[in-house]
Amino acid sequence: MPGNITSVPAVWLWSVCLLFCIRLTSVGAAPICTNAQAGCHVLSLANLFDRVIQHSARMHGISNDLHNEFEQFFLPSKNQIGRISRNCHTSSILTPNGKENAQRMAREELTEVILKLLVAWRDPLWHFHQSMSHHHDFNNFSSSKALEISDMVHELRKGVEKVAEKMQNLGMIGNFVNNLASPETFLTSDSAEWRLMRNYDLLYCFRRDSNKVQNYLKILKCRIVPEHGC
Amino acid sequence: DKPKLTSCRSPEKETFTCWWQPGHDGGLPTTYALYYLKDNSDTIYECPDYHTAGENSCFFNKNDTSVWVNYNITVVATNALGSNFSDPEDVDVAYIVQPHTPENVTVNVMEDKGWPFLRVSWESPHKADIRSGWITLIYELRVKLEGEEEWEEHHAGQQKMFNIFSIRSGSTYLVQVRCKPDHGFWSEWSSTTYVKVPEYFFRERSLWILVMIFSSFTLIILLWIVHMNSHSLKHCLLPPVPGPKIKGFDQQIFKNGRSDEILSALMVPNFPPTKSSNYEDLLVEYLEVYVSEEQELILEESKDSCLKSDSSTCDSDSGRGSCDSHTLLTDKCGEAKRERRASGEDSGMTIESQKGWEEEALSYTQEDVATPDVSSRRVKTWPSVFSTVPQYTTSPLDQKTSLELSKQHCLSDTLFPPGSSTKEVLGPNYWEFDLSNKQSHLPQPQTHGSQQLQAHSDVNISYTGNKQVPALLQLPGFKSTEYVEVQKVNQEDMVILQPVESDNCGRDEECPHVLQGEDYSKVKGVGSDNLLLLQSGVKARMGDEMEANGVSESCYTSSSFATTQKHIDSMHSATIPGQEEPIRATTGYVDTTTMFTLPMY
Repeated sequence: MPGNITSVPAVWLWSVCLLFCIRLTSVGAAPICTNAQAGCHVLSLANLFDRVIQHSARMHGISNDLHNEFEQFFLPSKNQIGRISRNCHTSSILTPNGKENAQRMAREELTEVILKLLVAWRDPLWHFHQSMSHHHDFNNFSSSKALEISDMVHELRKGVEKVAEKMQNLGMIGNFVNNLASPETFLTSDSAEWRLMRNYDLLYCFRRDSNKVQNYLKILKCRIVPEHGC
Repeated sequence: DKPKLTSCRSPEKETFTCWWQPGHDGGLPTTYALYYLKDNSDTIYECPDYHTAGENSCFFNKNDTSVWVNYNITVVATNALGSNFSDPEDVDVAYIVQPHTPENVTVNVMEDKGWPFLRVSWESPHKADIRSGWITLIYELRVKLEGEEEWEEHHAGQQKMFNIFSIRSGSTYLVQVRCKPDHGFWSEWSSTTYVKVPEYFFRERSLWILVMIFSSFTLIILLWIVHMNSHSLKHCLLPPVPGPKIKGFDQQIFKNGRSDEILSALMVPNFPPTKSSNYEDLLVEYLEVYVSEEQELILEESKDSCLKSDSSTCDSDSGRGSCDSHTLLTDKCGEAKRERRASGEDSGMTIESQKGWEEEALSYTQEDVATPDVSSRRVKTWPSVFSTVPQYTTSPLDQKTSLELSKQHCLSDTLFPPGSSTKEVLGPNYWEFDLSNKQSHLPQPQTHGSQQLQAHSDVNISYTGNKQVPALLQLPGFKSTEYVEVQKVNQEDMVILQPVESDNCGRDEECPHVLQGEDYSKVKGVGSDNLLLLQSGVKARMGDEMEANGVSESCYTSSSFATTQKHIDSMHSATIPGQEEPIRATTGYVDTTTMFTLPMY
């Protein structure tokens, strides 16, 4: 039966092709769609939150490592003349310092705070990376981490923006001040401060802010979508 | 000395406590104070609570705690001597979180498809706010067997439940849980939770059942194999004891009871080894003289009986000459038979058998030979001893041929000096003369006469022939089963025969005495009536000499007798002493196998 013999491999080939197509379509649905394009596979808010929170956690980890490395190389003597003014340039941003304060804050405010923080740190980290590459005192590991942090901050900011946007679409949060339009204004006011900061202080401040971001996102998530892991 | 701030800890990131270590106070009462600065401000704050957390501690409550704020804490020790400041320490509450131990650690033994496992569940410390997301805790638990030292740690992540599968039934386990915030310190291990895993007989029993079934199968198979190979095993373990066997001998022959087979089995072809390596033995042939029907019958009977009886007595011992030859056996049997018959027929036969030569001779001499009975008996018995060579019939003398008669006469006349009275002659030999003399009285009753005559002749024959010759001239009428063996064939075509003698000769006077020399009788020739004319001879050499002499047919023995007379005389002389001697010592028989006399016993 030559006919049957030839048909079998043909059928098999078609089945394989179909499987591939299905897989491709499924894969295509994975990335986040921008502007809620039609045909995109929409991720749930919980998933978005999880992704963002994981991202922020990783960011905090890297910042912590950098800070510890800096602490080894540049041990700031705690007995130095004058206290170390760890006056981060983001101090102006009002951030809740306690659980009650954070819970008391509205979702929109909290989201806004997160975004502000992330925005505030984009340029300083970029410059930090620039200064790291110029100075050959640090190994490549630190330099690569510095670069990674700047990218992560950038991506995290975008992610949080998407989350906010989604929340806004879902009606969970109302209109909030969109900082996207004015990152430069924010920066320009504090542009000079962060330049004066030492790298070590920069890292110290960034470590704290990344911790804040992570914590705020968690609070936000457990407030909005508490069913998963809260 | 300066006090030293040892540690500050916050259990839930809402409050925190700092502990310090007082320095050497020098024995003076010292007061301690804690001051702190907050995050770049210059306002000095003092510890709000010195007591809640215990000695040398400062407790910061919620109102005083700010997270993500850098606390610069300094402890001041003051005593009469002065005050001493400790080194300031920077503290950020966010990074000093050390939660309490997890609570409500419960362990349950659960079963999954027959196998047990431990399900450990716990709760977060009650103060840690997980639900709002303020703190994120990750857990860790450890398990160990009771009595062991090594813990088995498992990372549980953020879940509050964990399954442990690698446990043994029938043992007790210890479980502990601890937690840690994502950035902080590990809590203390929770209090030990003991769990006893019960014995899972169900599962183990099934295993044992499987093992038992498998072993029983194996056992059955082994037994079956052993049973199949039981025979070979028996041969292996208990080798059969070889029974005694005679090579070439079949024991079944005895069981069958067939005399022919028995005898043939016992007879070894080359046994007994002959003493003489005379190749002339190869020419041995058995001559069976013709006998009458009666004699044949008797022969048959004797044969059968002989074979049966003698087979038991004879053995394969080569030392026994009596069993050496087949013919001897038969002759013995025959003689025995004859004896029996003779003894059975006449009571007087006992006399003959028991008495010695002398007695018999005397009886004969004294008695009138006319006593037919005796003579007849004598006659009867006599022929039995000797083989019948010539053809004699029990018929009356009339039937006898003249030749025979003449022979007899010759024998009688020549053998013994005519005229010599029996009385004169001592010994049994003399009575022969009487007998021979009596031959003239042939007209006597035929039977008797013939018997007498026969007896005479027989006697003559026996004596003249040196106990062997008579054998030759035995009347065929008598039941004699004696055989004459052809010893050798002479140059003159004369067969040297040797009469076969039985061992009964000792008792019978008919038994020819055997000189130390050979006793044989030579066949002079064959008569017209198929009679073997035998020539008696003392010894082979003599016989040869005798043979050289021409012997007429009619009285073939004449010449020989002449010679033999001497011999006879010598024989007589020899026999006389021989009479006294146990007759057993003498052997005379025709044995073709040997030229020498064989010992008798």
